[in-house]
Amino acid sequence: MASKALVHRPSQPAFRSAGKSALLTLPVLLWSLLMFARPFADPQASVKIAVGIATVFMVTLFFMMMRTWSTYRWRRYFFVALGLLFPVGFIHNVMVMRGTMGIPIEEMIAGRTPFCFIPIPLLILPAALTKTLVFPGSILPHGGMSGGGMAAMAGLWLAATIVLGKGWCSYACFFGGIEEGMAAVPTRAKVKKIDPRWRYGPWAVLLVMVLLSLALFEPAYCMWLCPFKAVSEYVAARDKVGMIQNGIFVVLFAGLVIALPLLTKKRTQCAFFCPFGAFQSIFNKLSVFEMRIDKARCTPCVLCRNACPTMSLTPESIGRGETLMSCMKCGACVDECPKDAVVWHIKGTDINMNPERARLMFLYAAWALAIPFAGSIIVDGLATILHVFV
Amino acid sequence: MKLPTAKLGYTAAGVTVFAALLVPFILWGSFTKAFAGLGLHVDEVYSGGPKVRTIQLAGYAIDVHRPVTPHMLQSEKPFVQLDWRPAKALPPHISDVVDVDGDGQPDLRVEFDVLEDAKAPLRVNVDALNSHYESMRDVGKQKFSSLIVRVDDAILVRVPLASK
Amino acid sequence: MVGVFRLGEALLLGLASGPACIASCGPVIVPSLLAEKTGFRISTRYLGVFLSTRLTGYLLFALIAWQLGTMASLPETPRSIVFGAVHLSLAVVLLWYAHAVGRQCSHGCAGSELVTIGMPGKRGVPGAAMLGFLTGISLCPPFVAAGVRAAELSSAAAAVLFFAVFFLGTSIWFVPFVGFSCIRRNEAVITVARMAMVLIALYYGYLGLSMLSGRKLYG
Repeated sequence: MASKALVHRPSQPAFRSAGKSALLTLPVLLWSLLMFARPFADPQASVKIAVGIATVFMVTLFFMMMRTWSTYRWRRYFFVALGLLFPVGFIHNVMVMRGTMGIPIEEMIAGRTPFCFIPIPLLILPAALTKTLVFPGSILPHGGMSGGGMAAMAGLWLAATIVLGKGWCSYACFFGGIEEGMAAVPTRAKVKKIDPRWRYGPWAVLLVMVLLSLALFEPAYCMWLCPFKAVSEYVAARDKVGMIQNGIFVVLFAGLVIALPLLTKKRTQCAFFCPFGAFQSIFNKLSVFEMRIDKARCTPCVLCRNACPTMSLTPESIGRGETLMSCMKCGACVDECPKDAVVWHIKGTDINMNPERARLMFLYAAWALAIPFAGSIIVDGLATILHVFV
Repeated sequence: MKLPTAKLGYTAAGVTVFAALLVPFILWGSFTKAFAGLGLHVDEVYSGGPKVRTIQLAGYAIDVHRPVTPHMLQSEKPFVQLDWRPAKALPPHISDVVDVDGDGQPDLRVEFDVLEDAKAPLRVNVDALNSHYESMRDVGKQKFSSLIVRVDDAILVRVPLASK
Repeated sequence: MVGVFRLGEALLLGLASGPACIASCGPVIVPSLLAEKTGFRISTRYLGVFLSTRLTGYLLFALIAWQLGTMASLPETPRSIVFGAVHLSLAVVLLWYAHAVGRQCSHGCAGSELVTIGMPGKRGVPGAAMLGFLTGISLCPPFVAAGVRAAELSSAAAAVLFFAVFFLGTSIWFVPFVGFSCIRRNEAVITVARMAMVLIALYYGYLGLSMLSGRKLYG
């Protein structure tokens, strides 16, 4: 009797039928057409072409996720594209508006510093105690590079976190794709043995940055440690301290985002350093989607643990049948498992209850967010490149 | 007990997918308005504090802001910001005596050249006429609490308050 | 009556300075308290040791401030050297503390209740004591404000009393730290605490070197 039990991938064909895959992709296609309609109305040919490319790209990736039953590889293409194209569009806009990647003090005073999501946890305590936002931006749009304002980024963060939990780090973060791309370059890791205690690094950085942000009343991570200033913007050095701060971010970018991912094939900045990632881990508890391990089927071969880009699987967690709270829902472990023991799962349901349905529901949610937001960044970056030629 | 929790789980998952669809249309805007309505303000060390009065002069005005006191262990000194606006109407050289606190007594003499190139760096000399303020000599824009910068169509001067 | 007024002023100044004191001492207290063992008794003991040596530092500072007159009369170079050395010492103690936590855990231990630095076990000095004393003599704006007021008083005893009452006002703000006793210490918490101590030590080391090189810290 056919049951609602898990449909084993080994008993399925290697590929889902093209027709069924297309049917499952249809909602994503319709959503893309809806979300990209407005950017497509832009009169510039470069933007129109960029929208077309982005639409085909996102829809094709989803189609391949359906066709091949796998997630990680296709999601990675999207994420790397996001990570590479964000700096293209952003730096171009910065250069057009200001002529420099260095934020001059005038822009900080005018409240025109763009606000990214990473300082959000650092602002909470000072705001709670003094109703003050320790960031030189604007709450609402204020022209220049202020973009949609701090309230808009906070609103987007909250909305996306409710939907994705720490899936933000796999579908929304416009920085992580760079190191994910670097990690994908070598065929094998040169450094295989990593002390698992480094996984606690993001929590230590979060703790220290929260305390220092409150003490110094400034966004301490942005001022001192953020490696992604190398691909966005930084405070123009006005004195020796500024030069030291800028030197630090260059070193951190070279180490954590370029070199270490190449050596370890891990997302080292995300796994061992990013304080926002630690903060987002808290919201994984609220998310209804998770990865689980069916202990009855697990051998354990620990291939999932080796595949995880953020070391979110340990022998102990595998024994409990779950990932750690740092899991970014990238799907690498599920795709790697030869026994289909690692599965997508909806909390409250039986572990054997149709994991493909759980994966589909998560991917619909994730792609619904990725298309308008990450998609618009991809369009912007592509349009910037195409504008040179068109 | 498995079936009810499974139903709950699938319901929550369905709501999550639905929420994702609502984000661009409703949720993002609602959350943005909620954050904007929290009554927070950007740190006055950056923004300069609210404007409290305007001194009208011939052809231009000086906006006086409320003095800003740093929080916690901020390394900036307390300061007061003065805005000369509109910048395009300013004479080539400014030498103004300013009554900052509105008590009828002069507090500062501020001198700076207004350069044609809006992006050119400015320098300011400030003579404190009483003990409440600090004098500044040939100051540019090194620190938030003592600087001269051009922002849009105004020239901002920040003068540190003397420590007691 | 004048004395009572002064003490009232000291208490109010301490209470008003509490948030700044928390912000200033928080980077030192939070990770080191997290590195101690779980339990209300341990956390209370830690805070007791920390605050009592902090008081010692305060009172020593009060005496010096009264002897030298106002803070402003102390030339900047010696002031920078003294406080630069204090910050560097804080950095060294924090690194030592982080190392000692690892040693304490690995030895399992019949040692003292609190993490000790220096000699192992009961022969060492509780890290909380050294951190408390160093934060007690390090310069922060509320401290300067209290120092200026204390230096204006007529006698050393009055200055010491002023600082003691100021200390009481600030210390009330430290009571909630006892809540850290609820956090169960496991490998994750201890490792985070040790890493945090190293990061903060780097920051204090940078501050200390900046001061020693003559860069102004406040204003």
